[in-house]
Amino acid sequence: MHEAPPAKITSPVVSLKDNYVRLIPVSLIVAAAGIGTALLLSMDMQRFSFAYLTCFCTLMSLCLGGLFFVIVMHLTRAGWSVTVRRIAEIIAMCTLPMFVLYLPILIPLMMGSDEVYIWNVEGWSIHGDAEHKAKVLAEADYPPPIEELKAMYLNRWFFGGRMVAYFLIWGAMAWFFLGNSLKQDRTGDKQITAKMQKHSTWMMIVFAATLVFSSFDFEMSLAPFWFSTMWPVYFFAGSMLSALATITLIAICLQRTGRVTDEITVEHYHDLGKLMFSFVVFWGYIAFSQFLLIWYANIPEETFWFAWRINPNSEGVMTGWQWFSLVLLFGHLLIPLLALMARTVRRSKNFLLYAAIYLLIMHWIDHYWIVMPQYSEMVSHPVGPAAGLAFHFNPLVDIPCAIGMAGVFVALFCLIARDRPLVPLKDPRLGEALAHHNP
Amino acid sequence: MTDKQNQEMEDQKLLGLLAQFEDPNTLIKACNEARESGYKKIDAFSPFPVHGIDPALGIPRTILPFFVLIIGLTGCAVGLGMQYYANAADWSSLFPGYNFMISGKPFFSLPANIPVTFEVVILSSAIATFLGMWALNRLPRLANPLHRISRFKRVTNDKFFLLIETKDPKFSREQTESELNQWGASAIEEVNEDLTDQQLPSWLQLVGLMTALILLIPPVLIFRAEGMTNRKPRLHVVPDMDWQDKYKTQTMAPNLGDEKHPVYLFVDGRAMQEPIPGTIARGDLDTDSEYYRGIKSGTDSFATLHSAGARTGLQDAAPQEPSDQDTPAAESSAEPAEPDWVTQFPPNVTVDQALLERGQQRFNIYCSVCHGYAGNGDGLVNVRAMALAASGQATWTAAKSLNEPEVIKNPVGRIFDTISNGRGTMGPYKSQIPVEDRWAIVAYVRALQGTGLKPEGVTKADEDTVEE
Amino acid sequence: MATTVEPILDNTFDDPDHRSPLVLGNMDYADVTDKVCSIWEADKAPKVWWLVLIMAISMLMMFGACISHLLMKGVGVWGNNNPAYWGWPIVNFVFWVGIGHAGTLISAILFLFRQNWRTSINRAAEAMTIFAVICAGTYPGVHIGRVWVFYWLFPVPSEHLAMWPNFRSPLLWDVFAVSTYFTVSLLFWYMGMVPDIATYRDRAKTKIRKLAYGLLSLGWTGSARGWHRYEAAYVILAALATPLVLSVHTIVSFDFAVSQVPGWHTTIFPPYFVAGAIFSGFAMVVTLLVPARKIYGLQNLITIRHLENMNKIIMATGLMVGTAYGIEFFISWYSGVPPERFAFYNRAFGNYWWAYWIMVTCNVFIPQLFWFKFFRTNTIAMVVICICVNIGMWFERFVITVTSLCRDYLPSSWHYFHPTEIDIMMFIGSFGLFTTLFLLFCRYLPIIAISEVKSIMPIKGDEH
Repeated sequence: MHEAPPAKITSPVVSLKDNYVRLIPVSLIVAAAGIGTALLLSMDMQRFSFAYLTCFCTLMSLCLGGLFFVIVMHLTRAGWSVTVRRIAEIIAMCTLPMFVLYLPILIPLMMGSDEVYIWNVEGWSIHGDAEHKAKVLAEADYPPPIEELKAMYLNRWFFGGRMVAYFLIWGAMAWFFLGNSLKQDRTGDKQITAKMQKHSTWMMIVFAATLVFSSFDFEMSLAPFWFSTMWPVYFFAGSMLSALATITLIAICLQRTGRVTDEITVEHYHDLGKLMFSFVVFWGYIAFSQFLLIWYANIPEETFWFAWRINPNSEGVMTGWQWFSLVLLFGHLLIPLLALMARTVRRSKNFLLYAAIYLLIMHWIDHYWIVMPQYSEMVSHPVGPAAGLAFHFNPLVDIPCAIGMAGVFVALFCLIARDRPLVPLKDPRLGEALAHHNP
Repeated sequence: MTDKQNQEMEDQKLLGLLAQFEDPNTLIKACNEARESGYKKIDAFSPFPVHGIDPALGIPRTILPFFVLIIGLTGCAVGLGMQYYANAADWSSLFPGYNFMISGKPFFSLPANIPVTFEVVILSSAIATFLGMWALNRLPRLANPLHRISRFKRVTNDKFFLLIETKDPKFSREQTESELNQWGASAIEEVNEDLTDQQLPSWLQLVGLMTALILLIPPVLIFRAEGMTNRKPRLHVVPDMDWQDKYKTQTMAPNLGDEKHPVYLFVDGRAMQEPIPGTIARGDLDTDSEYYRGIKSGTDSFATLHSAGARTGLQDAAPQEPSDQDTPAAESSAEPAEPDWVTQFPPNVTVDQALLERGQQRFNIYCSVCHGYAGNGDGLVNVRAMALAASGQATWTAAKSLNEPEVIKNPVGRIFDTISNGRGTMGPYKSQIPVEDRWAIVAYVRALQGTGLKPEGVTKADEDTVEE
Repeated sequence: MATTVEPILDNTFDDPDHRSPLVLGNMDYADVTDKVCSIWEADKAPKVWWLVLIMAISMLMMFGACISHLLMKGVGVWGNNNPAYWGWPIVNFVFWVGIGHAGTLISAILFLFRQNWRTSINRAAEAMTIFAVICAGTYPGVHIGRVWVFYWLFPVPSEHLAMWPNFRSPLLWDVFAVSTYFTVSLLFWYMGMVPDIATYRDRAKTKIRKLAYGLLSLGWTGSARGWHRYEAAYVILAALATPLVLSVHTIVSFDFAVSQVPGWHTTIFPPYFVAGAIFSGFAMVVTLLVPARKIYGLQNLITIRHLENMNKIIMATGLMVGTAYGIEFFISWYSGVPPERFAFYNRAFGNYWWAYWIMVTCNVFIPQLFWFKFFRTNTIAMVVICICVNIGMWFERFVITVTSLCRDYLPSSWHYFHPTEIDIMMFIGSFGLFTTLFLLFCRYLPIIAISEVKSIMPIKGDEH
């Protein structure tokens, strides 16, 4: 395709129009109800914080995936994705307000709480309950060396500072793309595309760096003993998969309600489906590699993390976490792998709608499986990985919390989208995207 | 009808009409026209896959992907089954194989078997794709009437062709030709089947048969050799590895004579000779008994040394200096007398910070695995072995706690001797640890005993025995 | 309509409105065919070709001599010894396998991502892949010591051995991965080449050529049904080759990473090795294609834009590799595990510091020059940078293998590795094997995928 075919927006409605005024309060009510229920039913701030952090990380990774999508599409000068890029731009823009959502975790942390991030209080490396810790600490006249070392990175001020920096950087990058893209809607200046392409290069590097460290901070530091160099890639694989699922989901919802009906065609869904398929494979590849290497070498320093999640308890009975691991293996890898393999499936909007919802649920389970065992470890003090870990899944807390966070996301999306066009109106490659055809 | 029959009577049978087009768009247009006017047996030819020709010709989607999927899933089962059979099955008598435990993994451990399974899936699917594609295309086909047409040679270069077969019910020589012209054909050719050219030349058949037979010879020879016994010595592919220029211990010395009257290089006929009695290797002269053996000089004797050596089964503890004092032989054969151990560090060992640090380092490397870092006898090996012993899986004598009163009472010389020659089930460390390091360990052991980190029930050590 | 358009010769511009043309000089279908076939139809190969071939063959003979010597004397002729049991042979193996990743990547992944510019370079890259894998395969092949029982590597039923291979061993995974990769790459390469061999067949003048290319082209006619199944097969093979290409270097990385050796056991190895493989493979493709397009006058088919795109990918993968270095260092510090921390400190500041800094300079710093358009589009500059990249990638494998082994958990066996002359000569010799095969390929097989290039050319009449 060398000549760009003429670009013409033919859909009657390309924005949320006034509906966002109605949508925002509705979704906020859902959010308040969901999160409120979770808070009430958990009856324990620590338990709630973990449920909340799970949902936050799910949502955060999703928004970061959106930002990556936008950057990489500019970096590769992609033509096909122009019509779905605006949705991704809006999702990416959600990264900045996400900081407010992190405050319920960050503020207690800055005030010295170790309810979520145990490294925040001295003595975390000592095994046992608070009494025992206090005793050991009192006997030794200096903190354990590993704590002293990690405190250089894991201390509340540096952590808080990093968080502010991450969100500012992500927000700035997302705004750069969304703002310029909106400006192009008005002016039609193709130099704007050239500018975004030019800046996407170094932004990719900045994005990679922030993603690496933020993934360590958000979730890996929940288990401060544990470390895995693969972690950022694992985080990224899930985040890109969930972003693609969200883009698909939003696009289908918009089209079902009569918006952007002509611009996003079955060809785009086909491509999104292919990308989802490939990221399912990629996620499986990364998850398996990380697991295999740690399982095979079986070094106590790192193997405990997986042992908690995949070992039966000391009586040989399967723990809940073991079931979760199996759900991830089948539900996050094998089932979508087989389901998304067929071309007809990837070209069916109905099927993709369910697939997107399903993948988002799986993504939440993935983060649940990462975050929640740390809570179980904190409250139950298992003797060792062989003892098995208590299971703290409580559908009455975790599911309302997830629904509430979904409501927050819809509200954020509407707040950013408002009545702005949901498809780039004057992108120079719009024609190419409209004429896009899969062989 | 009669026309057609007449044609068939001839050597050359008309197969169809081949029309040439100059660019892909005209070709697609012609294909569409042909299909719309009712032709069924048509095919297009192009130098590259033309976009949009499939709907124009009404080509259905190929079944290749399903075929590949089935083969791939079969490959998955075969891959897993193969690994299970090879490494974990013990019920089969057909090529059973010995199940060996490696790196503590179960015989059949799914995570470790995934990579090979994956590769088998990919390999089988790829081969299925490759072969399946050619099979569906009815290729390889080495004789094709189309290749006889010189114009058709440009199909792999820059021209586009449309073939309408005679088999098509709507085909008629004249009308089809005029239609093709109408659709924009730049040239039209007849495709004829050359009936004379149907068979392979007979010499080629013969050559093929001969080649096949010749190719059979090596495998037949190999199978014949497999099934026979052979008295010839085996082939030595790498003589250097099989016959190395050296004499090993417990072998005969080289024979300098002939077979009947052997003359060996050495009198005893052995390749390896013992050192001459009294030989001392360079740097091994150890006249200083206090330093080298922890025994007060003057009281040192052949008998005590000998019994110490025999106790640990050490042969190289043979005397290296003549003893100047006689000890009654009866005493040595009975319960070995305790030698006169030194109670102070030898004069050439200065106990200072550096020595203690060295001692700590060596202790942690060599001793702590059994005796524990604090010397309480709770080293990892000991703990594990005791657990095994408790369940009857091993026999084990517990490593001594160095803080036990009788150990604390031991003079430094005896501790030195224990490290050097071992005691009870503890092995000798003389060959691993140099003398000065052994003394460093002794010093560190003394320091450990003085720290007060003891198991409960032990009284405070006698501070006098601790140096410094 | 038939006005002659001024031929475009620079396609490196970036205009969001237009896609740059990928075939320059107003070439039409016949021109492309003629241009590519002229390499093979020429009565005499260019002088440079002969010169390089003679050099390559002499290097190849040295390679053969080294291998014979090795087989006669045993693997002791290498510098491998306690503690560096894995010395240059595995370094060279990983180096060549890494280079062998570019071809399949270009044909498969770029195909799936619809990067049309891959068509001009994929054939040569695939061929290079196969030759590199052959070079790689020789090292473990001769390393097994008793090469005449090499089939014990495969699960061959044998009463004699009463034993099967250990399927839980990463080295056996390697056997499967590399042999699968070689087979699939070969199938992919050959299948892609059949239509072009048919072109050669239809242009062949001599009897031998007619016979040889006639057999190899399998009677290909270019029928629409044939193309349909061919394209379906191509997509499937690409979809199979993509995870395969990832799996191969992943499994190579498992050789190291499943162990407990500090510096080897780090979970990022799989993607990091894959990125490194793409990095070195692309660098090798650029190194080979720049002289090839010059010698054979293919500037209008392998345009500067193609090379520029390659260079951008080289820079991107270089940054990925650099990021992985950074993550490894950070995590080794963060882990607080002393041997882990020592391993990485020792890499950068221990007695192999020189190897480490060569690696970092060549892999991370030098490719940054590709930020500047001058370096991306200047052929000499890019070849120099790409050669640096491959030097750096060789040293990366050296650093990983040797520094970790020579400074493992057991200080008593710390050592300094010295390669022998045989090590060095074999490494040079393997380049002889590689170059010989590549030169023969250039002469006798289509080095550009003729039919694929045609399929991305604008159709006449559609331009207006």
